[in-house]
Amino acid sequence: MKEQLLALKKACLEAISKADRLSNLQEIEVKYIGRKGELTNILRGVKDLSDAEKPVIGKLSNEVKNELEAEFKAKAHALETAELNNKLKDDTFDITVPGPDVKPGHIHPLSQVQNEVEKIFSSMGFMIMDGPEVESEYYNFEGLNIPAWHPARDMQDTFFIKDKKDKKHGRMVLRTQTSPVQLRTMEKYGAPLRVIVPGRTFRYEATDVSHDTTFYQVEGFMIDKDISISHLKGVLAQFLSKLFGKEVTVRIRPGYFPFVEPGLEVDFSCLLCGGKGCRVCKHTGWVEFMGAGMIHENVLKAGGIDPKKWQGWAFGFGLTRLVMMRHGIDDIRLILGGDLRFINQF
Amino acid sequence: MLISLNWIKDFVALKDDIDPKKLGELITVRTAEVEGLTDLAESFNNMVVGKIKSIKPHPDADKLTVTETSVGGKTHQIVCGANNIYEGMYAPVALPGAKVKWHGEGDWVELKPTKVRGVMSEGMLCAGEEIGLESKEDGIYDLKGFDVKEGMPLAKVFAKDDIVFEIDNKSITHRPDLWGHYGMAREIAAITGNKLKKLGAMVKIPVSGESPEIEVEDYDLCPRYCGLIIKNITVEESPQWLKDRLIAVGYRPISNIVDITNYVMAELGQPLHAFDKSFIKKGIIVRRAKKDEKITTLDGQERKLGTEMLVIADHEKPVAIAGVMGGENSEINDGTTEIIIESANFNPQSVRTTSVRLGLRTEAVQRFEKSLDPQLTELAIKRTAELILQLCPKAKIAGPITDKSNIELKELVITLDTEKVASKIGAPVTAKQCAEILESLEFGVHKKSATKLEVLVPSFRATKDVDIEDDLVEEVVRMYGYENVEATLPDLPIKTPIDNIERTRKHHARNLLSYGFGMSEIYNYSFYGNDELEKCLIEDKNHILLENCLSSDQTHLRISLVPNLLKNVADNLRYFPGFGIYEIGRTYKEIGEFFPLEEKWIAGAVVLPKKAKLEPFYDAKSIVLNFLEQFSGSQAKLLKDEKGLSYAHPSRVAKIILRGKEVGNVFEVHPQVLKNFDIEAKVAMFEINFTQIAGMDAPMTKYSQLPKFQGLDIDISVVVDRKKTVEEVENEIEKADKNLIKRVKLFDIYEGENVEKDKKAFAFRVLLQADDRTLTDEEMSAVQKKIFHNLEKIGGVIRGK
Repeated sequence: MKEQLLALKKACLEAISKADRLSNLQEIEVKYIGRKGELTNILRGVKDLSDAEKPVIGKLSNEVKNELEAEFKAKAHALETAELNNKLKDDTFDITVPGPDVKPGHIHPLSQVQNEVEKIFSSMGFMIMDGPEVESEYYNFEGLNIPAWHPARDMQDTFFIKDKKDKKHGRMVLRTQTSPVQLRTMEKYGAPLRVIVPGRTFRYEATDVSHDTTFYQVEGFMIDKDISISHLKGVLAQFLSKLFGKEVTVRIRPGYFPFVEPGLEVDFSCLLCGGKGCRVCKHTGWVEFMGAGMIHENVLKAGGIDPKKWQGWAFGFGLTRLVMMRHGIDDIRLILGGDLRFINQF
Repeated sequence: MLISLNWIKDFVALKDDIDPKKLGELITVRTAEVEGLTDLAESFNNMVVGKIKSIKPHPDADKLTVTETSVGGKTHQIVCGANNIYEGMYAPVALPGAKVKWHGEGDWVELKPTKVRGVMSEGMLCAGEEIGLESKEDGIYDLKGFDVKEGMPLAKVFAKDDIVFEIDNKSITHRPDLWGHYGMAREIAAITGNKLKKLGAMVKIPVSGESPEIEVEDYDLCPRYCGLIIKNITVEESPQWLKDRLIAVGYRPISNIVDITNYVMAELGQPLHAFDKSFIKKGIIVRRAKKDEKITTLDGQERKLGTEMLVIADHEKPVAIAGVMGGENSEINDGTTEIIIESANFNPQSVRTTSVRLGLRTEAVQRFEKSLDPQLTELAIKRTAELILQLCPKAKIAGPITDKSNIELKELVITLDTEKVASKIGAPVTAKQCAEILESLEFGVHKKSATKLEVLVPSFRATKDVDIEDDLVEEVVRMYGYENVEATLPDLPIKTPIDNIERTRKHHARNLLSYGFGMSEIYNYSFYGNDELEKCLIEDKNHILLENCLSSDQTHLRISLVPNLLKNVADNLRYFPGFGIYEIGRTYKEIGEFFPLEEKWIAGAVVLPKKAKLEPFYDAKSIVLNFLEQFSGSQAKLLKDEKGLSYAHPSRVAKIILRGKEVGNVFEVHPQVLKNFDIEAKVAMFEINFTQIAGMDAPMTKYSQLPKFQGLDIDISVVVDRKKTVEEVENEIEKADKNLIKRVKLFDIYEGENVEKDKKAFAFRVLLQADDRTLTDEEMSAVQKKIFHNLEKIGGVIRGK
């Protein structure tokens, strides 16, 4: 009987190895180890065996059965995999068929860049302030050391509001700069301060590709005991490097703004040519970016801060201009034009 | 302002081989921005003298002619549009490669051979302004009278070997001393480490003789007035060297006397005026204008004056507007032989105000408004006299200068704390460095202690420019060099900034609306005009109005974002059949106080094609409710708005209620409004008061236990009267069992076949679920029965019951 079992095992293994389809394999399984299969057939003879032989054959038959079952399983798995692979190989799925319309909207580039600017300055401990867009002449000019007759007013053509006049505030204007919020913040919080003010500003100006009546600025200022021009250079380099994702250097040169002394113009190294000079930077290696300076003592005083105890700097740059620079937008009128063909690009 | 390098070299011994570009950069980082640099010789590259040999009409254009012009050894065919050319004329010719300004305007453009209306033109016959020359007359520059030959380089003809710097006027707003070459030379001497050659008075003023009679009535507006009489002059054309200098820095040569006054202004920054003495009756009176007094200024315009304006008058009439422009009635002319030269100091505010009122801005105004040094008047008048004597050898100074003044000659001394300087710059600047720098700029320095300097401000910086310690800090740091100041970060304690919750939540709102609900963000202007108001049927009240505006759509500040958004809808429909847009922006409402009420609003529009079966109102509603739930963590509700909105469809408008407060509205746009904007589409909109919802607590989700026992959905289909709303029917269902009914959801509305007219069928899916047990069949059918009962009570017929 032992020989019978071993012969069966051999025959079965051979059949398994030859099986090429799952159905085929199942037939073999039924034939050899099924309930009515050959193994059962052989084992029918066990009852005729001696008591000494019975356990030996019993053990052997179990081993044979287990071994064959494992073999069947392994083969079945192999055949399944092969079949699946065949099926996958023959698949003719067309990945170029367009998907259903899933249309996310778009956030205006101004909002996107503003958000980034706010995040960078927040991470450096600056608070983000807001102020009114319809502002008084006092906050927009006088309080910032720009009296009515000052030639600097020529630089800022102003929208005036009809029939609004007040003894302290003067006339009412659409703010020409975000700087009035400097004063308002000083009045509210006192020193020390680290603040940025991104916001909408207005100029009474004819519109063309590079001028609009409405644009966005970012004002920033820092007031503490020992704040210097060196810190302005450092903070701005930090900000610009973070914003542009690469090392940016900052150049400072003299400039004039009545609300700062010394007054500064700040340029940054041209991102396109790295300072070698190209069309974008008009072959200077530098891109004009903002006005800045140490806050004028008259402005600190107007904000209720003692210039003998505190000092600091302020800067202002055009957010709209930054957006245009960043995305290569050549016409400012697109920014507030409401054209989805433009906005949907961002 | 234009600065000639040759002129600067009159006062500073700069090396001949100095690189002008480097010098320009140095001026930029030390003093004022050099916006441009022009090598005058270079600008005449590829320009020669041409002789017009023949002129023929252009075959295709009446106003053009075709010339054969010899440029020395070669003849070019050149098309010309001017009518002053003649055969044999010598004229400037720009050859291909030359840079010209079309009609004297815009940027320099490189010339190329080109076809003009089909005829080849190999160059251009130039008008003066097209090649940076002052024209004597209209049309092509006639070189008659010049010693020229065809082919001669034009640079040679005009002796152009100068470099001209263009200084950004804005950057010298605070520097009255830099509005002339002498002041710039002083600055350049300091920044290049050279000595300034002082300009002295090299003319002898007689101690006796005839002096102008001058009476100053208002010393506030005219702190100093110097006058001098010169006789025996001959008015004629200026010599070439004088004309070249003036042209180089942008002045038009007129005649010797006028040119000299301009020359001295360009040199010293002090505006001057010369009157023809024969027109001055008796003497000069500096007074305020009389009410409605009139004067015709040198530009030929009659101007009505106001009593706040200062005039120069004789005993009969005004002869000049002080500091602004002279009058025609006393103008220098070809027959003038005796003149009075005026060199005065006027109040900067007064000059500026007068200039603004008259809309008349001149070189003189530009200088006076900067607060000129009153000490400059004397030097300037002597320099003028000197040049007049040089150009008119027969001229004679008639007598002493009349000098009327009321100026305080107080010395301005500022104490400078050099430790403070170092602290503000953030660089180790020593007291010695401070002193050296200030002295190089002609400040007087007296050392008081190791860190304190007493600084005497020179008169030419003391009028307004330098008056506080920080002004001296600026002098030190710019000469020390901003490039030498290291970039460092401040050593400050870590502190989280005070949050601007509204700002953060605004960005959140954008993320939801754009990335969650597929809408695109738009930015609009803060204004609109009557036209937009009328189109939107909005009443013209509660508006803040602009006093000055550039166009008719800028007259009102918006009180709603809707009008401009509707414009966007109309515009974008040209390119897109349907879309969703929104804006987050401010409104400005007149509330009877000085400052208007500024609120931030979100407004949006859902636009569907006209033929769409869907109602955009429901899209808008869905966006609003889902947005508000995400944003505020609370369910918002819509309530029918009986009051309505002018621009909304009267029966398709709802108020948005969030946490018991009205925060906005959802509506379909009024058909009339759509028509007014020429919008052919279905448009629903919403407005949400962002200021209000941003002020509500931020959402804080509270966890509720996951259900332990399974629930079961039952579907109910009911036919009801057409006027019944979904909400009414839903309420009836919910009422059936407030505990077990967890959710009622409409999944179909049907009208038409198999449903009676005036009726409609609703299909709802109702979820029944208990918190503590699995529901039995009996319980469920009891609820269902109750629901049926409730629905039948309101006239409903249950289908498939």
